[in-house]
Amino acid sequence: MAHVLIFKTNVESEEQLQQASLLLNATDSIIKWNIDREDIDKVLRVESTLPHINDIMKIMMEAGFSCEELVD
Amino acid sequence: MRVRDENKIDAIQEKAVEIIVESGFDGLSMQKLAKAANVSPATLYIYFKDRDDLIQQVATKEASKMVEASLKNFDPSLPFAEGLTIQWKNRAKYWLKHPKQAKFLEQVRHSPVGEEVYTKVKKEFSLVMSEFVKGAVKRKELIALPIEVYWAVAFAPFYQLVKFHDDGKSMSGKPFKWSDAYMNQTLALVLKALTPEK
Repeated sequence: MAHVLIFKTNVESEEQLQQASLLLNATDSIIKWNIDREDIDKVLRVESTLPHINDIMKIMMEAGFSCEELVD
Repeated sequence: MRVRDENKIDAIQEKAVEIIVESGFDGLSMQKLAKAANVSPATLYIYFKDRDDLIQQVATKEASKMVEASLKNFDPSLPFAEGLTIQWKNRAKYWLKHPKQAKFLEQVRHSPVGEEVYTKVKKEFSLVMSEFVKGAVKRKELIALPIEVYWAVAFAPFYQLVKFHDDGKSMSGKPFKWSDAYMNQTLALVLKALTPEK
């Protein structure tokens, strides 16, 4: 069963989205993902085979995005 | 892995319907809904991809519930008068019990979300209804009519009564409250109009 991981990001523009999509698409464990840019938290939602929250945060942050886990 | 919490989902479902009925589709944001349903935005995103996905899922679920309610005890092979009576009763029960959900589905019907939801959910419903009508025409219990004319006679009067009830008043502002007597009186006339002359 897939893990659903939820993050708050700052992905806002179309350009940023494309940049993020390159990174996320290149990550094998990610089954699917989307960023809700309409939401104030620009929520990144990832369905993944692994619960690797820190790895995803690292990938995003290394590309210059802010990315933190959105907790309950 | 968090487990699916049906109580939370029900609360989300209910509040989403409420917000959309009160403030329209544009009035619903994930943050607002999270607050209203007393869940965290993170929880909301566990279950739904985004706002559109949420509206789509909520609408599909409500539409299924409505279809289920209106098909209760109904069989398309029933004699026409009996079948239509069950349809009216089921729909009345649904509208009186779930006015918010019914209004929400009206909004959905008139929105871009509607088409997708309805092609999915209403397919089975349409098949059952069309079987009902075809059988009734064949048995000479119902006049053969274009489907729009059929619907305008068979169901529009029902929905007009519902609308009066919903508004709390009829044409000239006269107070109106639903009653089974009004329904039965209207239904009798509808059946009379749709039954072929002997």
